[in-house]
Amino acid sequence: VGHATIEWVYVGVVIAILVYVGADAWNIERLLEETPENAEVIKVTGAQWLWTFEYEDGTKSIGELRLTKDKPYRFEVTSVDVNHAFNIPDFTVLIDAIPGRINTISLVPDQSGEYLIQCREYCGFSHYQMRAKLIVEEPSGGEGGANVTNAAVEVPSKGATAIAS
Amino acid sequence: MVSHSAIILLLIPVLAVFLLGIESAFAQESTEQYILRRVEIWALFYRLMVVAFVIGAVVMGSIAYVVWRFRESHPKNRGDITPAKTGGAHQ
Repeated sequence: VGHATIEWVYVGVVIAILVYVGADAWNIERLLEETPENAEVIKVTGAQWLWTFEYEDGTKSIGELRLTKDKPYRFEVTSVDVNHAFNIPDFTVLIDAIPGRINTISLVPDQSGEYLIQCREYCGFSHYQMRAKLIVEEPSGGEGGANVTNAAVEVPSKGATAIAS
Repeated sequence: MVSHSAIILLLIPVLAVFLLGIESAFAQESTEQYILRRVEIWALFYRLMVVAFVIGAVVMGSIAYVVWRFRESHPKNRGDITPAKTGGAHQ
């Protein structure tokens, strides 16, 4: 085997690996961009320094988001002041909240429990306190919020108020 | 320089690996009713980490071999300082 042959094989293998990496990542990105048709839309608004959630029935809550396990949701995320980022680490949800723009991301929570929602874009003095609580409840007939499987995340309950609009 | 027939022959395995790469990437459709971000993203992360570490191992292995083979004290490098016939170029 001459040197040139080895080089051509090397080039081919490198190209094949790069194609695999690119195609795999692109494909997963494509799959994740699809939102199920029956997804419930939740409007998420970031403001210094709290998160507001508006459900499809018009109900709003601040600092607390209640979802049902195994049900699809689509978040429409925006901001009223500066740039924020809506992040639920346990469900790998992360998307920017930008004033004047609505970014969307979908989620099907497959585990019940309490989880952390955290602003992931530095947004001012109390950025680190810009948290909210995600409560994923069992579908009807389940034990609801009491069936916590992941209580390791400490989420401040301050500011968790429900507002009927 | 490589002949045309050699290039065509080499293209066969290269294209085969190329197509296999695409096919295996798209064969990972989830059978779940819904796509779970958490599962898909972490699975992708681990697959790409495997690729990254395999490439790292191959590169480090190649460097180790070259350093070992072309060191001054290697038996094949002793006593012969005559330049290659082609001056180092490929034949």
